[in-house]
Amino acid sequence: MRKNIILYALLATMLGTTLVSCQSDDTDMDEIIAMYQVEPAAVELDFSELTELPDVPVTDEADSAYNDYVENSPWNKVISIAFDGEEATISGSVPGVSIQRNGAHLTIMNMSGPVKFIISGKTTNGSLKFYGDKRFQVLLNGAEISNPNGAAINNQGSKTFYVVLADGTVNRLQDGETYTMVDEEDQKAALFSEGQIVFSGHGELSVIAVGRGGIRSDDYIRIRPGVKLYVNSSALDGLRANDGITVDGGVVNIETTGDGAKGVRSGGLMTVNGGRVIALCAGNTRITTEDNVTDTASCAGLYCDSLLIVKAGTLMFKATGDGGKGINSKHNVNIQGGSLTAVATGTSKVKKPKGIKIDGNFDISGGYCYSYSRRSDPLEVAGTLQVATGYKTYDRTPKVITIAY
Amino acid sequence: MLMLWATCMPAIAHAEDDTGLILSAEASYKIKKGLNVDFETEFRSRNDFRTADRVALGPSISYKVLPWLKAAAGYQLLIDNNHEEITYQDDGVSYNNWRPSYWGVRHRFNVSLTGSYKFNRVEVSLRERWQYTYRPSRIVDNFDFDNAEWEDHEVRGKGKNVLRSRLQLEWDIPKCKFDPFASVEFHTTRELEETRFILGVDYSIKKTHYFKLYYRYQLAGSNSDDPNMHRLGLGYTFKF
Repeated sequence: MRKNIILYALLATMLGTTLVSCQSDDTDMDEIIAMYQVEPAAVELDFSELTELPDVPVTDEADSAYNDYVENSPWNKVISIAFDGEEATISGSVPGVSIQRNGAHLTIMNMSGPVKFIISGKTTNGSLKFYGDKRFQVLLNGAEISNPNGAAINNQGSKTFYVVLADGTVNRLQDGETYTMVDEEDQKAALFSEGQIVFSGHGELSVIAVGRGGIRSDDYIRIRPGVKLYVNSSALDGLRANDGITVDGGVVNIETTGDGAKGVRSGGLMTVNGGRVIALCAGNTRITTEDNVTDTASCAGLYCDSLLIVKAGTLMFKATGDGGKGINSKHNVNIQGGSLTAVATGTSKVKKPKGIKIDGNFDISGGYCYSYSRRSDPLEVAGTLQVATGYKTYDRTPKVITIAY
Repeated sequence: MLMLWATCMPAIAHAEDDTGLILSAEASYKIKKGLNVDFETEFRSRNDFRTADRVALGPSISYKVLPWLKAAAGYQLLIDNNHEEITYQDDGVSYNNWRPSYWGVRHRFNVSLTGSYKFNRVEVSLRERWQYTYRPSRIVDNFDFDNAEWEDHEVRGKGKNVLRSRLQLEWDIPKCKFDPFASVEFHTTRELEETRFILGVDYSIKKTHYFKLYYRYQLAGSNSDDPNMHRLGLGYTFKF
């Protein structure tokens, strides 16, 4: 009997101990993983109306921006061009302005000074090409221009090119997959200008780029309130200017799908004073090899070679491809107001995706800044990160950083 | 006493040490004199008895070649609850990867020779065992903190040879059914991987039911990531 008790007691102990040994000794990672697997803020194209402050032109001739305002030039010289299929009807003439036609492909030499070209109608095989070192205005008044062999509008002049979107109109430009090039002439986008481009008016312009970039200036670009731009580029950058970009207002929506393409790329100072700019980039890192040297270029919603200053407005950038950045700045970034959202959800096979990557310093003293990176740090600042006191929120988790004033 | 030991052991154990239990049940059949076949199952726990560590089962055969020399061979199917593995970024703080614990199997084969000699009532034995353990490859879950996603991780298959050398003393106390024993065992690969110190007693009922109660201290090698283990062992053998 006693032996049986010992036997049963041992068996009961064994069974009992086995049953209680069912607890995991893993580290409790649920909350930590949840912190890493957080979903980003939504960044989608937004074509809704934007309530903006009145657009007051600069009237001081000494102001460097004086000539950016189309209102400050006389526009009594007018030529109208109406496209219709393979043809174009030209109305009006201006001394010093000559126009060569090849079907609906028009080459315009302007030696006259400020001339206003009113463009309307539709062509699937046409283009406008401007020469002359005089500022001029193109008023898009319900125009739809497609050029299968190059840019839809190509300005070879170096003076201000005013693109005015007639109130309430919808305009469309599209380039071709292949460009027919002319020696010693650039042609870098569906809407290309050697000189600065200033967008104004209260109409809409869609630019579809399948061969090269969407909109590009080898000088600078200014976008004024009221403008609605949509750029869809499956090849190169959406909106690019070599010498800087100023956004005073307007609604800008950009989509790029090309590898290494940037939504917005500014080679000079970029200043945002208002408006809403949204760019979605889906391309992966572009890998090129030349002379046995391999180079890589990742996508970015916004790419700045120079200083970025945000005073007001809304900026939203999302990169979804491998190595894509929401914002990639090679210089300093200064946020004084407005709202900045940068999201990177891509993989990191070739390059690391980052919400915001800044090679210089990052100073924020106002507004709102949100950055998310699914597969690396949300914010990488090579210089100093200066967050001025007075913020309401300053949260940093492994994948998200939020600073709000 | 068992309860007292179980309660106190976590407290007295070294901070990096762990405590656990070994429960085993064995059936032994004597085919003929000197020739036995056995089938053993074993359960181990860790994490202060709270976590299952291993289940093992398998047959073995032994033959007494000489009165003082026994040869044996066996196979064990090991079902292990493998420890979690956490790696960190270069800063040593940020997580890099987390592979949660997972259950996996291993196959173990062993052959051994045991020489014994009795000095009065003390029997000294030396067992040399070679064991080969093979872990098949398998895919397990891994959380990559960089990519913030679960991914498949291959635990590669590998084999391992270990030489186990055990020196044991057993006392046969007159008119006492409890036979104390003590042993020390070294597990060696290219280096000393583990040392086991065991202190226990055997108890038998009618030469059919055999019980074993022991304490085992498992000292991990200097290059091992495993903790040192304090283990209480309970064994039962039924002899046909």
